[in-house]
Amino acid sequence: MIRKKILMLGDFAVGKTSLVRHYIDNTFDDVYLTTIGVKVSKKMLAVNHVELELLIWDIEGETPSKKIPKAYFKGASGAIIVCDASRKETVEGIREHIGDLLAFNREAKYVIAYNKSDLLSAQQKETLSLSENTFLTSAKDGSQIDILFTTLAKEILL
Amino acid sequence: MRNVQIILNAILSKNIFEYILVDRKLHVISASQGVRKYVNAMPKEGDDVLEYLPELVGNEEEIKQIFVEKYCLYTLESVYKNNDYVNISVEYCDQNTAIILLHNITAITRAQQNLLQYSNESTLLYNTLQKVVDSQNTMLFVTNAEKIEFANKKFLNFFHAENIEEIQKKELKLYQKLDASLQNYRELFVSLKEGEKYLKLGKDIFIVQATQIEAAHTLFTLTKITDFPHEMQLDPLTGLYRKDYLNEMVEKSLQEKRNFALVVMDLDNFKQINDTYGHLTGDKVLKAFVMLLKQHIRKTDLLVRWGGDEFLLFLEDGSPENAILKIENIRKLIDEYHFETIDHLSCSFGLSYTKENDSVDSLLQRADKALYEAKIKGKNKVLFKEE
Repeated sequence: MIRKKILMLGDFAVGKTSLVRHYIDNTFDDVYLTTIGVKVSKKMLAVNHVELELLIWDIEGETPSKKIPKAYFKGASGAIIVCDASRKETVEGIREHIGDLLAFNREAKYVIAYNKSDLLSAQQKETLSLSENTFLTSAKDGSQIDILFTTLAKEILL
Repeated sequence: MRNVQIILNAILSKNIFEYILVDRKLHVISASQGVRKYVNAMPKEGDDVLEYLPELVGNEEEIKQIFVEKYCLYTLESVYKNNDYVNISVEYCDQNTAIILLHNITAITRAQQNLLQYSNESTLLYNTLQKVVDSQNTMLFVTNAEKIEFANKKFLNFFHAENIEEIQKKELKLYQKLDASLQNYRELFVSLKEGEKYLKLGKDIFIVQATQIEAAHTLFTLTKITDFPHEMQLDPLTGLYRKDYLNEMVEKSLQEKRNFALVVMDLDNFKQINDTYGHLTGDKVLKAFVMLLKQHIRKTDLLVRWGGDEFLLFLEDGSPENAILKIENIRKLIDEYHFETIDHLSCSFGLSYTKENDSVDSLLQRADKALYEAKIKGKNKVLFKEE
């Protein structure tokens, strides 16, 4: 079995914890509760006949006044960069989070989640130009969450 | 070992520290009983410590380095473990042993979480409100007495600024654009209590309104009105409509067979005021004159600027006598009013009143003749022309 550490990165209140909770427990609660520090959850996966244990680091969201402790980045093989598709400022923060990740590990892989897609109209979704490995997710209705994590897992094992 | 002894003593005295001793391969040697509550089971000798502390995965090589470097190399703060928060640190013990300390910081972390929750919710609310004010079609800005402290996107865009700091650098003194005698936004707010003002910025005219938010701050709104056909006929100095708008109103009233008076008024010796005190004072006199008149006419009456120091008043009244009486009162009011700088001002008035087959021109012609006679007869008079 292979163990890999992945990070959930993104601004506060973009839904990182909700994505993890949906992926691990298949539950959702729309009450916002701030994450502080880090909570590590485990998920077993079989990727291309390889047994993989993902150690998912749900990290507190970054705010202008509170940066993510650098120790959290050490040893990470990859990250899910999460933004709230309905909040432009969090989408603009994606680039910085990718930069933070790669500053610690140039080889780290990442995928991007435009979360809370359930809040977007069909027209708004159409106008989004999403690059490869970017997913329109919703922790509320569960859309594209499994593929988000498995895509990252495959990238890491490449 | 000195640090370890201190910490172990702390472990014995309080329940805030727990420990796991590990060997060079990060296998468990022993652990304190309290570790169980964090890792759901009691680690046994020989177990891989990563089974219990997956937070260390990815850092194995770095942790093993402490046996070489012989000092604390690895610390991880605020890790959530089974409803508690712990700081995890790995420290050198001896050449074959390292101690992993779990320091319970739940109480302080929960307090921090409450603060962070409050702060984040406040930020979200602020961002939402910002979006609401940015979506307004009106320019909004908030000031203290001296400067602008907040502005919506519409306002920033109009003044070609990216953010409020750029606006502050521009030192916009909008109050002086409205009235050169105003010294700050506080005075602007006070002056707006007397009535709405109009601000001309470039080609556009805006209605300026103010609301006191709390003692230190005032919300100002600038509503663009030049997009509307009627408001295009506004006089930027006084904020009054121009004559074209009055023509429309008179024509409509004539068609509806309504009775009304038309008054032409002309400030006496206004040229001398301009020549003696300057045009800036002249402008202030015109504004004060308009303000005074507006306070003494009804909302259904219409005061317009014809040009220079000539004004027209549409006065819907039951009879010519009533209209004459009302205008005479206004004449007296102006005659007795103390105007800033010039002290005294008088005005001459010519009236006409609707009759059969009247038109805008015929009404205006009679009122203008009456005004001419009032001037000839010594000014500061109200005259009515029936024929």
